Amino acid sequence: MVTILLVVLGFFAGLLGALTGIGGGVLLTPILALHFGIPIRQAIGTSLVAVITTSAASSSVHLQRHTTDIRLGMTLELATSFGAAVTAYLVGYFNRSALEGLFAGFLLYSAIVILVRRGKISGDDDSSSAVNGEIVIPPYEPQRYPLGLAASLLAGGLSGLLGIGGGPIKVPVMFIFMNVPLMVATATSNFMIGVTAAASAIVYYRRGDILVQYAAPLAVGVFLGSLLGARLAPRIHTKVVMYLLVAIMFYLSGHMFLHLLRWL
Amino acid sequence: MSQLREPAFDRAVALVLRIGAFSCFFIMLAGLMVGLFLTGRIPLAIERFGVLLMLATPVVRVAVACFLFFREKDYRYGWVSLGLLTILLLGSVFGLGEH
Repeated sequence: MVTILLVVLGFFAGLLGALTGIGGGVLLTPILALHFGIPIRQAIGTSLVAVITTSAASSSVHLQRHTTDIRLGMTLELATSFGAAVTAYLVGYFNRSALEGLFAGFLLYSAIVILVRRGKISGDDDSSSAVNGEIVIPPYEPQRYPLGLAASLLAGGLSGLLGIGGGPIKVPVMFIFMNVPLMVATATSNFMIGVTAAASAIVYYRRGDILVQYAAPLAVGVFLGSLLGARLAPRIHTKVVMYLLVAIMFYLSGHMFLHLLRWL
Repeated sequence: MSQLREPAFDRAVALVLRIGAFSCFFIMLAGLMVGLFLTGRIPLAIERFGVLLMLATPVVRVAVACFLFFREKDYRYGWVSLGLLTILLLGSVFGLGEH
């Protein structure tokens, strides 16, 4: 019964993730921790598997539209995966409440950022235009690599610590500072998430922090949900979905803070 | 100059990710199905295999890109990919024995 519930949960997380560009990890980790009674570290490790699944499924779509900058992505991945592996290793020494507090804070922060931006950085509304169904991207040359690498190190560090993708850091940095078109920045960030999450997931797995009996049904659901989401995305009013997501994030963050208070 | 527009390269990398995601999906699904009829180690072992394959998919993606870069004589990015592979493999060494 729990297995079916997990498949359904993964399905909705994958669907929301594909529709909004905000990955499933940020929702799945707190739900696993709060409603399934899994210690936060294992919840993070387990949802990392879902994060990799989402990235693999969605970035193969972006790659076929030729909007991913593989060279830029792999250069920045040096920093994200290094950061992710280091914090994933350090998490082994964190106590549970500290990690829960960090996660709740991050959830609250992300929800507020999305609300303030009203989902502007989603990759749909930018200068790139489609001619005859072919996506046209203006020529560009990525700039300010040191800044990009530093931001990637931070994004990767957060990813290894909290099991999230780090898109809200990488996309604006590539778009605003590195002179990369928004559509390319979004696709490239998505592309990077798989390797970044794998770098930390390997460390979590070896520590025994990935619960296979939870990860497998979640990944199955996430895979189906993100496939459907990718098909529905052009036809659905994203703003409504975005507000739904923000509401869920506020709820989960509040619940997690309350959960923390019990330990104090 | 854009760094984009290499359809063959994109397609090869996309293929790796697609094969990885689809085969993991079917393996994990098989594990869940077997789990409906059997309890114990067998379904869990199938699911574990699927999870491990999912973790390996991005690593294989980097290895394939590395091979393609060196074949194109694009040494700079060949070395970048090799560095990335090293980080990924070091992670599996340092993650050992922290229960």
